[in-house]
Amino acid sequence: MNKEQKRIIRVLLLLSTLFISLIIYLTYFTIFKADDIKTSSYNKRPNEKAYVLRGSIYDRNQKVLAYSTKDDNKDQTRHYEYGNLYSHIIGYDNNRYGNTGVERTFSSSLTQSNIIDDVKNVFFQILDKTGMNKDKVPIDRETKGNSLVLSIDHELQEYTKQKLGNKKGSIVAMNPKNGDILSMVNFPDFNPNSIEELLENKESQKDGQFMNRATQGLFPPGSIFKVITSTSALENDVNTNFYCEGQIKIGGKPIGDYNNTAHGNVDLKESLTESCNVAFAQIGVELSQDTLLKKSEDFMFNKKIPFDISTKKSSFPTKDIDKAAIASTSIGQGELLVTPLNMALMASSIANDGKMMKPRLVNKVIDSDNNVVKEFESETLSTVTTPDIANNVKDMMVSVVDNGTGKRAKINGIKIAGKTGTAEAGKNKKDHSWFVAFAPADDPQIAVVVFLENDGGTGGTTAAPIARDIIKRALGY
Amino acid sequence: MFNRSISFKTPHNLLLILNLCSLSLVMIYNKSFDKLSVGVIFGLTITIYLSNIMLHKISSGDNYILLIVSMMMSLGIIMIYRIDPELGFKQVIWYMLGIVTFYVTYFIVKKLPYLSRWMYLYIGLSLVLFLSTLIFGSTINGSTNWIKIKGYSFQPAEIIKILFVFFLAAYFVNRDKFENKYILSGIVYANIGFLFIQRDLGSAMLFYLVFLVIFYVYENDRKFILLNMGGALFMALIGYFLFSHVQVRVSTWIDPWSDISGKGYQITQSLFAIAEGGFLGTGLGKGYPNFIPAVQTDFIFSAIIEEMGILTGIAVIMLFLILIYRGVKISLEQKDSFFRIIALGITCMFGFQAFIILGGVTKLIPLTGITLPFLSYGGSSLIMSFASLGILQVASEYIHPIEEEDSNE
Repeated sequence: MNKEQKRIIRVLLLLSTLFISLIIYLTYFTIFKADDIKTSSYNKRPNEKAYVLRGSIYDRNQKVLAYSTKDDNKDQTRHYEYGNLYSHIIGYDNNRYGNTGVERTFSSSLTQSNIIDDVKNVFFQILDKTGMNKDKVPIDRETKGNSLVLSIDHELQEYTKQKLGNKKGSIVAMNPKNGDILSMVNFPDFNPNSIEELLENKESQKDGQFMNRATQGLFPPGSIFKVITSTSALENDVNTNFYCEGQIKIGGKPIGDYNNTAHGNVDLKESLTESCNVAFAQIGVELSQDTLLKKSEDFMFNKKIPFDISTKKSSFPTKDIDKAAIASTSIGQGELLVTPLNMALMASSIANDGKMMKPRLVNKVIDSDNNVVKEFESETLSTVTTPDIANNVKDMMVSVVDNGTGKRAKINGIKIAGKTGTAEAGKNKKDHSWFVAFAPADDPQIAVVVFLENDGGTGGTTAAPIARDIIKRALGY
Repeated sequence: MFNRSISFKTPHNLLLILNLCSLSLVMIYNKSFDKLSVGVIFGLTITIYLSNIMLHKISSGDNYILLIVSMMMSLGIIMIYRIDPELGFKQVIWYMLGIVTFYVTYFIVKKLPYLSRWMYLYIGLSLVLFLSTLIFGSTINGSTNWIKIKGYSFQPAEIIKILFVFFLAAYFVNRDKFENKYILSGIVYANIGFLFIQRDLGSAMLFYLVFLVIFYVYENDRKFILLNMGGALFMALIGYFLFSHVQVRVSTWIDPWSDISGKGYQITQSLFAIAEGGFLGTGLGKGYPNFIPAVQTDFIFSAIIEEMGILTGIAVIMLFLILIYRGVKISLEQKDSFFRIIALGITCMFGFQAFIILGGVTKLIPLTGITLPFLSYGGSSLIMSFASLGILQVASEYIHPIEEEDSNE
């Protein structure tokens, strides 16, 4: 090899070094620098509107609840047709503030377009241009994301909201047989159409209007928890016959009935009908903390309930507690905390022969041509007890409405099963009112939980009538 | 025969599949199917097949350089078509004209004898072109290096590039006749000075690098090379302090972020695009290449990275590397000393030009606006690149050495 050739090869080496250093630099840039640079506020890309028009959200009867529009600048605007009504279910989707609710969980579905649509578009254009589109298939120029069909029944949702009115609290209605959430309403709520002003103004954030009380609020359940204590009592064959004097001391602490009413001789059915604290406190102690804990966990306490929007865990104390605390826990006080959704599931599982169905808010994902992209099957979440015991509890709950504390939920011609609850909310705070129910008892179509926060009334007087009206409306009476 | 032609065509078939897939993706995202897309698909496919098959029949030289360029052209056209379908179609037309230029240049250069003897012609032509640019030139994008004739504009520097290589080759082949390295460097610096006056810093840098490489390989006076490099450094420093447009280039390279909305706008937009692309890219049609000014010409590489990813970017770099490798191989194997130098010069032209702009848009080196050969949109640069490629094709063949009366050694 002569001198010239050696030098030419050195030139090749120089050029190769230059290009390889470029490759190394690009790789380094992508791994270490790119993320910082991308997030620069001067990068216009994140603000640039998505290519795909965000999909719509429908109720179970294909009523539009939320949709997006594109203006001439291709800026997208999200419209929430019913303002506050779906603030906690659908949530909001905002470029600056992100998203919540179903908008968050299903964001990728909503922005995923059907590639086949795009291909079809071009295909029909080819047919058009070549004069072969004899059927004159219209060409849709917009790429739309997939849409969601909720399990919500819009009419019932509106009615539920009307019934809750301006009372702080939460109402959930669901189908106990398949887990469909039919309506879910909280108050206070907010209008997702004006989310930017709301979030910029700190003043408006008080009262927890952004919290979905039904899935994320944790409250003492009061006497509606006796449904679980009763189930456990039936399973374990403990003594359930007591003489109630209106008050009893357990572990040195007094447990009293509402207004210290003495119920006399009671069996389990009568205890539940009259919501006898004296009897249930003793049953709880007999059952022991462990048995009650296990039963509660069958009812999804201390467990994450899988759901289409985020949920919090109901909690049953796991560390050892004394007799007095067991007594108050078994009547729904003490350290017990529950979400209204969990209580709706509790009622549903008794209604559905002991099978708790997984709650379902989104039934299916459909594309812009209404073809089903994905359908969510109903699933059993937990088996809480045997069908026999569930039916036994059901009978006792019917008696609550027929003869006991839940009389105000009675509807002529429909057998309703229910349970009232009045929970102490803490010092200087008014009681919470609860009512759980399902109907018709023989063939349950709907389960309802009504929760009124610091309402000051009792479950039987304030919550039960609301539940009755919702059941009546849902069943078409 | 049939089998041979099938196996020979395999890379073209792969390229056809790539083109069809990419272009249909672009059509889907543009949601348009029209005459332009038909034109681009057929134009591109036919040009690639015809040009490569013809080459196989005509030339006994290197069959790969045109294939490499076909790949580059495909990537460029896909991206330009995605940015602006009309420009994409025009680029296909330019590609066809480029192929014609390739073959025309190939035949002319092959037939013309004694090319090494016309050194003064190359110098004279360069001078005429430079002067006419100075007199008739119009300013586009801050550089006065365009000539407009009847609405068409072209950059004389693109032609001078080839003349420059020819001049260098002719000088070193006939070194014994007029051994005067001072005149040589004088002419070279005059060339670079002209480019500098026209504010075409990218081309000035390119010419100088090519000159240095040829000088390094063929100049016997090694000290003189160092002297030249020192002198160049000195001039660069003077240029930096005297001319504000040079300072701007350097300061936007060191810190483009301090003036994002102003002088650093172009380079930061390019960096955003590259950062968004990541390894796999956003996908064809899903990026925002239009945010970068001059994206279809100087910044085509950033657009490719944004939508096709760093991996495709690396593929582009590797294509240039293979092209350079083939070019150097051609130079090493050529028996004729004139064409040996020509091959090395043209290869360096492609290599340095690609590196200057690739390094520029990625902020590895200061940005000086020149086109990315075979990928950027542009008529005159593409045509002249194909002309250079045609000459390289000639150089890849066996050339019967001309009997010089007083050949050295």
